[in-house]
Amino acid sequence: MKVERRRLDNGLRIAVAPIADLRSTAVLFAVEAGAWFEPVGRAGVARLTAQTMLRGTRTKSADAFADAMDALGAVARLDVGSHAAIFSAQCLGDDLGALLSLMSEVLRTPALAPDDVEFVRGQTLAQLERDERDTRAVVDRVWRELVYPKLHPFHAPAIGDAAVVRLATPEEIRDYHETAIRPDGGILVVAGATTADAVAKAAARSFGDWHVGGPRVARDIPEVALAATIRRTEVVPDKTQSDVLIGWPGMPRTDPRFVAARVTNMVYAADTFASRAGNVIRDQLGLAYYVFSGMGSSRGQSPWIVRMGVNPQNVTRAIEVALEELRKVTIGEIADDDLALAKDKLVGELDVALESPGGVASMVMEAELFDLGEDHFERYPRELRAVSKEQVVETARTFLPPERHAEVVAGPPLPDLAA
Amino acid sequence: MIHALEARHAPVVSLWVWYHVGGRNEVPGTTGMSHFLEHMLFKGTPSHPKGDLDRLLARYGAQWNAFTNEDVTCYFETIPKARYATALELEADRMRNALISLEETEAERTVIVSEREGLENDPSFLLGEELQAVAFSRHPYGQGVIGSKDEIKLMGRDGLYAHYRRFYAPNNAYVVVAGDDDAERLAAMAADAFAKLEPSKELGEPPKAPEPPQRGERRIVVRRAGGTLPLVMMAYRAPRATDSTAPALTALAVALSGTSGGSDGASGRSSRLQRAIVEKGLATDVDASFRLTKDPNLFWVDATLRPEVTHADVEKALLAELDRIAREPITEAEFARVRRQLMAATAFATDTVTWRAYRCGEILSTGAAASIADWYDKLAAVTRDQITAAAVATFPERSRNVGWFVPEAAD
Repeated sequence: MKVERRRLDNGLRIAVAPIADLRSTAVLFAVEAGAWFEPVGRAGVARLTAQTMLRGTRTKSADAFADAMDALGAVARLDVGSHAAIFSAQCLGDDLGALLSLMSEVLRTPALAPDDVEFVRGQTLAQLERDERDTRAVVDRVWRELVYPKLHPFHAPAIGDAAVVRLATPEEIRDYHETAIRPDGGILVVAGATTADAVAKAAARSFGDWHVGGPRVARDIPEVALAATIRRTEVVPDKTQSDVLIGWPGMPRTDPRFVAARVTNMVYAADTFASRAGNVIRDQLGLAYYVFSGMGSSRGQSPWIVRMGVNPQNVTRAIEVALEELRKVTIGEIADDDLALAKDKLVGELDVALESPGGVASMVMEAELFDLGEDHFERYPRELRAVSKEQVVETARTFLPPERHAEVVAGPPLPDLAA
Repeated sequence: MIHALEARHAPVVSLWVWYHVGGRNEVPGTTGMSHFLEHMLFKGTPSHPKGDLDRLLARYGAQWNAFTNEDVTCYFETIPKARYATALELEADRMRNALISLEETEAERTVIVSEREGLENDPSFLLGEELQAVAFSRHPYGQGVIGSKDEIKLMGRDGLYAHYRRFYAPNNAYVVVAGDDDAERLAAMAADAFAKLEPSKELGEPPKAPEPPQRGERRIVVRRAGGTLPLVMMAYRAPRATDSTAPALTALAVALSGTSGGSDGASGRSSRLQRAIVEKGLATDVDASFRLTKDPNLFWVDATLRPEVTHADVEKALLAELDRIAREPITEAEFARVRRQLMAATAFATDTVTWRAYRCGEILSTGAAASIADWYDKLAAVTRDQITAAAVATFPERSRNVGWFVPEAAD
């Protein structure tokens, strides 16, 4: 994979991965406006702002903006993540300039009209109400509340806190847009049917005269650690299956141990079929349809979690087995072939991800967002291969202690509670 | 049947094996059998005992899975191209040699029940399943795919094995491969892998249970405590993939709700239903869809209501828009957007190797077109008048099925 990099005078970084024989391009535009940068105690303002930005600009009403986007046939969305807000889109290669121009209007000159704020507020409150009846959303929300202190940026999911969503004013939305949506720290990644020169030219036209506003206010975020195991059960009425989430605060993507952590994650539970937790819980014991773990990439301690969908009768057993498999990892009971398999899978996936412009763009964005270096794609497979069993054990002991975890179950009443 | 496509932009190959067996081939008492069998194909053969396939494919970084729908059961692997021969060997092996042991059948039963229970947590699934059952009185499409929980619990190993031996054979499969090699070479390797396999002698005739004409609207209400936001779903009788109006119905769905659903996206917001339902504050999401299937199926329209809005108001607004698109042709500007969205969506899908192979298999297995290019040509040839005609034919009251999901207070 060949990545060409440019930088505009205003600090905007550009990375392009041209791919021959395609008709479309995948575009990712990241600005440092994720939960990490949200004002303290205002969870949900970032997402409200992002969603309102998609409802028209100073020169295009909501209808005119929708017409323009659909006239390109482009797909686009603006998501607020732990670290960045990412505008992701795909368009036909010939339409890249027009798409970047629309993205520029959204990012730089959104209308943010009071009616649009009210519309997004209504949609968001409806989604929050739906989430209260969705077992997966409930375990995610409750788990964050257990693990991260109230003012921590990861305490609430990106959709935010209902009280904040209810009361956020159009002025607050405009202020947040002005301070958080800015070109410095911004990264544009394009992969697919284009060239670096074409992207650089189009980006200069759309973003070249975008100037940095005032200084960014740094946020002091305390380290998080679990002192003991915490458990919570939430009854969600009239459900059939329980959602289970077991987790720990993870590590920043920039931590030198992150590569070993990815291998540890794969050995333990990342894949329902290739990792040991899924192998035992699903394949050997038939306790769950899905078992997988994931670790977030951010500048902070994103969640490192295991998820399972389990019949209420089997919840206790499934959790016991998941933790028992983890204990084995922490004491070095790891077959050589399990470790080799985890590394082979992670390396092999890098090739397979090249099959789509979206996959390429995502890999490039991670490398750019966390300054992993221009030689990252050469080094990374070697780094994965070099992870030792001792590093896996050490990572699991340090970051995934079975005796100190946070565990949430949401769904029907569990048998012991119903009795 | 083997179909190969070149995709030179990444060093991978995506291999898909499509079996002509799904919910359509089941009768009451055996619902969910094809899906149960799909799970059992991962439980080993004499050459590759249980776990072997999982570990081999994982080792290569493969993206791999399987699914069952009303018409087909499908298995795929997207792998580094150097491993294409291994993928072929694994698929050819499990086409005729799956073990399907009693012990593994029992172990997998709870996994499948768990899959079904996960779906039951989703009110859209519950309402959709019941509405589908109401929409068909004779055709097996009314039974869905995953099967009832009771029938999953009763499914016997011998029945599964007989289903396997009957339907899993080269004379009942499509192999579609896309990847970084010459198409002829990809096809020749696939032919070598599958050529020696013994055909099924028990295929019999394709299922024939024609659905009689619907004579009037049918309605259901599903109530569940807690639940979620209220839902309105409508399912209209629609033709099969080989029908000449299938491309126009595909375009009609785009005119109504765009190509990418979801309330968070910035796409499809110029569509008719988005403007009339979501932008007016009646619903958080709205969608319209038409799928390519072997037999006549359904054109779906559904909306997730805003909390304070009534089912009747949303249903009325949906019906008004469906009536309007049948009376008033979409404008030239709307038509241009629909065409562009259709053409772009097809490019997006086929720019990913996995989905290029999938799209080809879907088109071939349902008979919608002779190739991806042929299907594109059919989409490109759709006119505004054909979209109007498709709406007129699809949305009369007599072929409408309406379902409401009504969340109730918890006890």
